[in-house]
Amino acid sequence: MEEPILKCGIEIHQRLDTGKLFCRCPSTLSEDEKPDLQIIRNLRASESEMGELDRAARLEQEKQLDFKYDAFRRNCCLVETDEEPPLPIDHEALLLVLGVAQQLNMRVVDQVHTMRKIVVDGSNTSGFQRTALIATNGFMETSQGKVGIDTIAVEEESAGILETEKSGLKHYRLDRLGIPLIELATSPDIVSGEHCKEVAEKIGMILRATGKAARGLGTIRQDVNISIPQGTRVEIKGVQDLKLIPKIVEIEVNRQKNLLTLLEKLKGVQPEENPQVMDLTEIFANTESGLINRGIVSGQRVMGFRLQGHKGILGTELQPGKRYGTELADYAKTAGVKGIIHSDEELSKYKISSEEFTKLRENLEVGEEDAFVFVVAEEGTARMALARVKERAALREIIGETRKVNQDGTSAYMRPLPGKARMYPETDIRAIDITQTTLIEAKQRAGEGLDAKKKKLDDLLNPEMAKRMIKSRHLKTFEKLVEMGVEPMLAAATLEDTLVALRREGVEIKNPETTLSDLFEHYLKGEFVKSAIIEILPAMAEGKGVLEILEERQLHKISGEPLKKLVLEHNKNLGEIMKNYRLRVDAKEVKELMNSL
Amino acid sequence: MKLKRVKLNKKGVTYEGFILPQSNDKTIVLKLENGYNIGLSKEGTSIEELGEIEVLPKTKETTQERGEIAILSMGGTICSRVEYKTGAVFPSTTPGELMHNLPELEKICSFHTKSLFAMLSEDMAPKHWSIAANAIKEEIDQGVDGVVILHGTDTMHYSSAALSYMLQDTPVPVVLVGAQRSPDRPSTDARLNILNAAYTAKGPIAQVGVCMHADTNDDYAYFHLGTRVRKMHTSSRDAFQSIGVNPLAKVDFRNELFEPRCNYDDRGGKLKFNNEVSENVALVYTYPGMNPKILDSLADYDGIVIAGTGLGHVATDPFKAKNVKRVLPEIQALCASGIPVVMSSQCIFGRVNLNVYTAGRMLQEAGVIGSDADWTPEAAYAKLCWVLGHEKNQKKVETEMMIPIAGDITPRSVV
Repeated sequence: MEEPILKCGIEIHQRLDTGKLFCRCPSTLSEDEKPDLQIIRNLRASESEMGELDRAARLEQEKQLDFKYDAFRRNCCLVETDEEPPLPIDHEALLLVLGVAQQLNMRVVDQVHTMRKIVVDGSNTSGFQRTALIATNGFMETSQGKVGIDTIAVEEESAGILETEKSGLKHYRLDRLGIPLIELATSPDIVSGEHCKEVAEKIGMILRATGKAARGLGTIRQDVNISIPQGTRVEIKGVQDLKLIPKIVEIEVNRQKNLLTLLEKLKGVQPEENPQVMDLTEIFANTESGLINRGIVSGQRVMGFRLQGHKGILGTELQPGKRYGTELADYAKTAGVKGIIHSDEELSKYKISSEEFTKLRENLEVGEEDAFVFVVAEEGTARMALARVKERAALREIIGETRKVNQDGTSAYMRPLPGKARMYPETDIRAIDITQTTLIEAKQRAGEGLDAKKKKLDDLLNPEMAKRMIKSRHLKTFEKLVEMGVEPMLAAATLEDTLVALRREGVEIKNPETTLSDLFEHYLKGEFVKSAIIEILPAMAEGKGVLEILEERQLHKISGEPLKKLVLEHNKNLGEIMKNYRLRVDAKEVKELMNSL
Repeated sequence: MKLKRVKLNKKGVTYEGFILPQSNDKTIVLKLENGYNIGLSKEGTSIEELGEIEVLPKTKETTQERGEIAILSMGGTICSRVEYKTGAVFPSTTPGELMHNLPELEKICSFHTKSLFAMLSEDMAPKHWSIAANAIKEEIDQGVDGVVILHGTDTMHYSSAALSYMLQDTPVPVVLVGAQRSPDRPSTDARLNILNAAYTAKGPIAQVGVCMHADTNDDYAYFHLGTRVRKMHTSSRDAFQSIGVNPLAKVDFRNELFEPRCNYDDRGGKLKFNNEVSENVALVYTYPGMNPKILDSLADYDGIVIAGTGLGHVATDPFKAKNVKRVLPEIQALCASGIPVVMSSQCIFGRVNLNVYTAGRMLQEAGVIGSDADWTPEAAYAKLCWVLGHEKNQKKVETEMMIPIAGDITPRSVV
């Protein structure tokens, strides 16, 4: 059999709408709130129980590791500030994960052990993310056959970063820390970008069908794992828009292919054992280059080294608009520089003169086939950045990386793939035995599952709307409205069509669930007609109450005696009545009335 | 520690990983390839062994040449890592292993380490204070500049008080230090606490005290007087507080800051060493409805410290109210039998005063001592253990108890 050209798997993180995982704080966010407390902490990578230090954690440790945290009384406690041991796992979150695991035909472990995944970038006050593996070895059906579900875990969400201060101090907010996440990873059974998107969509639907998936920006995140033959597994993190997945896959496949071609070219080029890093500041004593001059004036140095045999290599395009030089720059950036300057670039764009260029080549002893790289930074940072570039440029294979997705579908290097050495048992939490009773309870809690939900929607809606609604982020609101007694098609159309139409006009309904519940409560009392909805909603978006709007715009429904009067006044002319009173009368009621009069 | 690598088959699913020691008759705990631990019930599993690996803790090769500072370990969270039988933490790290993770320590001082105990501080008894005091004395005799004691936090304030009595006029700083977060976590407070403690041990204050985080931030620490410090929170970094006095000093080794906050004893004192203790002293917390029989059962003790309510009260029932279980007769009997009975307050903050209420006066008449002392219950307990180590005569014990030592009783409650 021909070797598959692509190995692809996806990892999905979905925030759950339960309480926090290891304390009893609510899972709410505090955007734009003034913190009640600010704290400063320091982290240091610690060894795994096997006595190893994780590579990704070690790299983080080379950086300054003081962090600032904002805490809020209403959703943070001493667990988030790492001042109190965690409490037992949130039972509802555990049940949801167990429920989903069963829906995905997974093998649930008999005893759940909570682990600490060491992360010292400051996104956890403890220096680790608590996570527990719940089940393995499942599968789901897709258009391209079965896709394996390797693992499902429940873990705590990290703290959100606010900013990196000028001093390099990272500033985080603790409200998000500890919100439960389902982490679900497929086997590398995905065969194409389109297939990857399908799988991501379906998993998203399965999770939403529990009714307890959190909604809103950033509540679901996809990481795509991609490798090609002779390539290696690369994890592309933070995919928010599913539509982008096919493009991301295509770009990464090509990046790895381009890297292979580039490595072929580098075959005869041995990485220099110890290329000398030189201080080149003198060359730029009278430079026209604003970028370099500003650096020198503020005490920074210009430092660089030679890359033997790399002429033209740095300029090779790997991703659309991104060259091998960019790849090296991404490595340099992890040491805290803004970027690098290299000899395959048009140096005039930095206003580097040809004399300066010649001197650079002379000082670094750059030969015909060689290239060079330099940075402008404080000496320690510059040396660390160049060391990272050197390390990357010396590679003669594609290595496993964690990369961050850009908006255009390209990606940038973040850090090495973390390994198992980052796992340590969470000693503060006891192992949980999973009994048959728990599994049954979980089945009930996680709801009927996607297929049953699909069938229900097929019964309630026309096929086209049913298909849309199962994928909709408003599914839960739809169910609530139907339960209230709203006609299913009206509820669906309002959620899927009216809201979209309004958004196009710039009207944003911030909280559809509460707004629409409020709207339909009045509707069900017969206070206005369907067609008035699109008139009422924009005013509600401005914060007005339904009754106030009806009064203000004269949108009260006309029925009973007044309607009878109206029908007679218009000589039973339906067209005429509807033309004048479209927003106030129900056509069906008018017709019935005309027939009876 | 050796770990077996296995392939485990259960109902058609294969798991590969290492068998961890938490496994028992019913459950196998596996560390999977991805680093996760999971438990699988043994029922219906078959195991194929694939090999074995040896997991060794990394220890820094410290040449045990004597350094300026002696670091003595008595156990506690500060020396803890995972304990596989239960999966909780246990003080199993040697000082050498700990220092492996503290490269900064060498910049502060040269040091040597010694492990006295590897135990949880709640397991300690007065005997352990004696052994520690002796070990510290030996270090002082050999000329160290300061001593750092790694200690569990639960009873660190008992030990610091006891060592204050046993090592009076110490010529060098004796600094107890602990951790509220174990050193196997990236966010451990052990690192900053130890480094600040070492900095304090090199500093000018030659007294016994506790050096711990000053607040929730990882910035500076306080050095607290050994007799007046108390653990005031179950888990927070700043659990240790000075009771009724300022901390001795603010310490921040990163900024080379050592800022005394009150009068202190300089280096160079002449050590008055006495590590004899009675191990037969009780500390009793009183409460509403306390059964008098509890006090009856204390007749065999050498001495008793009561953590009374308010100003230092127990149920004396001076006005013969209904349904009162008074404990006064039992206290009278204990005192009359020659047992020193010492009052302290469960309020923690403030001074004992047995003159304000009739209850207090009745206790004084019964022979209870401690009026006007603002000691903590723990310091009073450690002091009574120590005094009874060398003095059994009730009257003399009472006199000695009331003489302030190492700041345990202050003359004025400063505003």
